[in-house]
Amino acid sequence: MRATPAYTTPPAANPQPRLRPGRYGIAVAITAVVVIALIASSLLNYVYLDSIPGRTSLYGLLAVALIALGTYIGVRAFTRERASRRKHLIRAGVLLGLGVLLWLLVIDVFVFTQAAGPGVAAICALACIPTTAFGLFVVRRMDRNEKEPWKLVLVAAAWGAIVATSLVIWGESLWESIASRTLVPGPGLDASTAFSAGVLEELAKGTAVVLLFLVMRNDFDDVVDGIVYGAAVGLGFNFMESVTYMTNLYAIFNSEGFGWYAAGFQWYARQGLGLFFGHATYTAFIGAGLGVARQLHNKRQKAFAILSGFLIAIAGHFSWDAWLTFFPIDSTLFGLVEIHMRTLIMTGPFTAGVIALLLFGIRYEAMNLVDQFRKEAASGSGAILPEEIPILASPWQRLKQRLRAFRRGGLRAYFKVARLQSGQLDLAMERWHRERQEIDMPLEAEDALRQRVLQLRHWVPA
Amino acid sequence: MATVQYDQLQTLYRTLLVFATVAVVILAVGLVEFVYFEPPGQTTGVKARIAGVYQYDQATGNTIGPDRSSFARTEEFAAVVDWSGLPPDLSVDARWYDTFGSVVGRVGPSTPAALGPRTIIAVTVPQGLHHNLPGHYTFVVERLQGGLPVEVLARRIVLVER
Repeated sequence: MRATPAYTTPPAANPQPRLRPGRYGIAVAITAVVVIALIASSLLNYVYLDSIPGRTSLYGLLAVALIALGTYIGVRAFTRERASRRKHLIRAGVLLGLGVLLWLLVIDVFVFTQAAGPGVAAICALACIPTTAFGLFVVRRMDRNEKEPWKLVLVAAAWGAIVATSLVIWGESLWESIASRTLVPGPGLDASTAFSAGVLEELAKGTAVVLLFLVMRNDFDDVVDGIVYGAAVGLGFNFMESVTYMTNLYAIFNSEGFGWYAAGFQWYARQGLGLFFGHATYTAFIGAGLGVARQLHNKRQKAFAILSGFLIAIAGHFSWDAWLTFFPIDSTLFGLVEIHMRTLIMTGPFTAGVIALLLFGIRYEAMNLVDQFRKEAASGSGAILPEEIPILASPWQRLKQRLRAFRRGGLRAYFKVARLQSGQLDLAMERWHRERQEIDMPLEAEDALRQRVLQLRHWVPA
Repeated sequence: MATVQYDQLQTLYRTLLVFATVAVVILAVGLVEFVYFEPPGQTTGVKARIAGVYQYDQATGNTIGPDRSSFARTEEFAAVVDWSGLPPDLSVDARWYDTFGSVVGRVGPSTPAALGPRTIIAVTVPQGLHHNLPGHYTFVVERLQGGLPVEVLARRIVLVER
C-alpha cells in the first residue's frame, strides 16, 4: 500500500511533460505495420489466391485508407480549438462515411452479389445494425461512473468491423490454404484452423485496443474502460462476420429452399445468443489486460497484464472454434435447447470471467473516485461540495439529481446538471491518476478542469 | 472515510494472471489434441493415385466424361482411385468432405487388396437436400493407424459451383 497525503492537491505526476510521450512513437510504428500488412495482404491475395475475397481485399484498400484518414482527422479534431473543431469533424465524418459505404459496396459487388445479390447483403446488414447498436449501448453503459465518448466507442467498433476483418483475410486464407492441402481432415485440421482464428483475429482486434491505449490515454482510465473498448471492437467484428456468414449461408442454402432460414439462424446465433458471448467477450479480455496495465507501475507486471489479456482472448476464441464439434446438436426440437447450452457451457465461463473483472473494476474505480471527491471537497476549491459527495458517488442519485433539474427547468437544466456531474467526475478521475502518478498532463490541465467545473456550477440553477 | 487500498489493483492483476494460466492450459490441450490427430513422423512416402474426379451416373454406377475440377450443383460426381499401387496390407480409407467438413462419401477402412474393385467413390447428397451444397469438396485417401487417419496418401480438391 502506498501512503498518500490526505486533503491536498496532489503534485504533478510529470513535472516536465513532453508534448508527445514516447508511447506515441509505438502507436505510429504499430499503425505503419498495420498499413503495410493491409497493403501486402491485399496484393498477395490478389496475386496468389486470385479469389473473390482477394479482389475484395485489393479494391477495399481505398475504403480502408479513407477510414484510416477519417479516424485520424476525427481524433485530431478533439485536440484543436473549438472554432476549427467542427470543420475537422465534418471532414472526418464525410471520409468515414465514404469509407464505410465503399467497403459495403465492395463486399456486395465482389463477394456476394454473384450468389446472393446486393439486396440480400443489405437486408443482412440492416438486420445486424439494431442488435449491434444495442450491444454498443449496453457496453458503454457498463461504465457507470465515466462513460466513454461515443466517438471512441464507434471508432473501436468501426476498426473491429472493417480494419480487423481486412487484416485477417490474407493470414487466414493462407493458413487455411496450406492446412487444407497438408493436414489430415478432422479434429487436427479443426484445431489448426481454430489456432489460426484465435491468434490472427484476436491480434487484429487487439491492435485497435492497443492503439486506443497508446494514443487516447485520457479516455482510457482503467480496467473498466479497457473492457468497454475491447467489447466495442469485438461487437464491430461480430457485425461484419455476421453479415458475411448470413449472406454466405443464404447463398449456399437458397436453392434448397431454406436460404432465409439459414441466414436467420446465423443472425440469432451471432447477433442474439452470441452478441455478448463471442467476440465481445474475447476482445474485452484484451481491453482488461491493457486497462490493468494502464495503472500498474512495474514494467514487468504491465507486460504480463497485456500478455495475459491476449492469451485469454486467444484461448477463449480457440476453444470455441476447435471444440464446437464435440457438442453435436440434435436435429430434434431438443436441439434448440442444446444450442443455448453449448454457448453457455463453452463461452459462459469466459463471459463470467470478464463480468467478474468488470464488477471488481467498477467497485475499485468507485471507491477511488469517492476518495477523490472527499479530498477535492476538503480542499475548499468549490468544485465539489461536501453535500454533493453522496450524490456523485451513486449513479442512481446522479440520475435523480438530473431528473429534479429537469422538473425545475426542463431539458436545458437536465443537460446542464449532467455536464456539471460529468466535469466533477472528470476532475476526480484526473486527481486519482495524478495521485497515482500515471498521467502525462501538467497540473495546469487539472486546474483548467477545476475552473470549468466552477464555471458549469455558475450556470446550473441552484 | 474509506481507505483506498492500492492492493486492489494487485488483486485485479492476480486474477488476470489466474485466468491467463487457465488460458495457457487450454492452448496446451489444443496443442496436444493437434499432435494426437496429426502425429509427427507418420510420413511413409507411400502415395496413392487418384485417377481423376468425374461426373457420376448413379443409375449405372459409372463415371462419365473427362477429369474435372468443378461441377454444377445438380451434377453428381465421384473420384476414381487406383488401389493397385499401394502396399496390399496397409490400412486405408477414402473420404469425401464437403465445404463444412462433413463426410459425404466414403469407402473403407480396409486394405488396398480388399478395396481393389471399389475404385469409384461417389459423393452422396446429404439427407433432406436435393443437390450437393456449393463450395470446395476435398477427397482424401488416408492411411489409418489404430483406427485413426494419420497420413494423407493422396488429395484432390474440387469446386461445386453455386
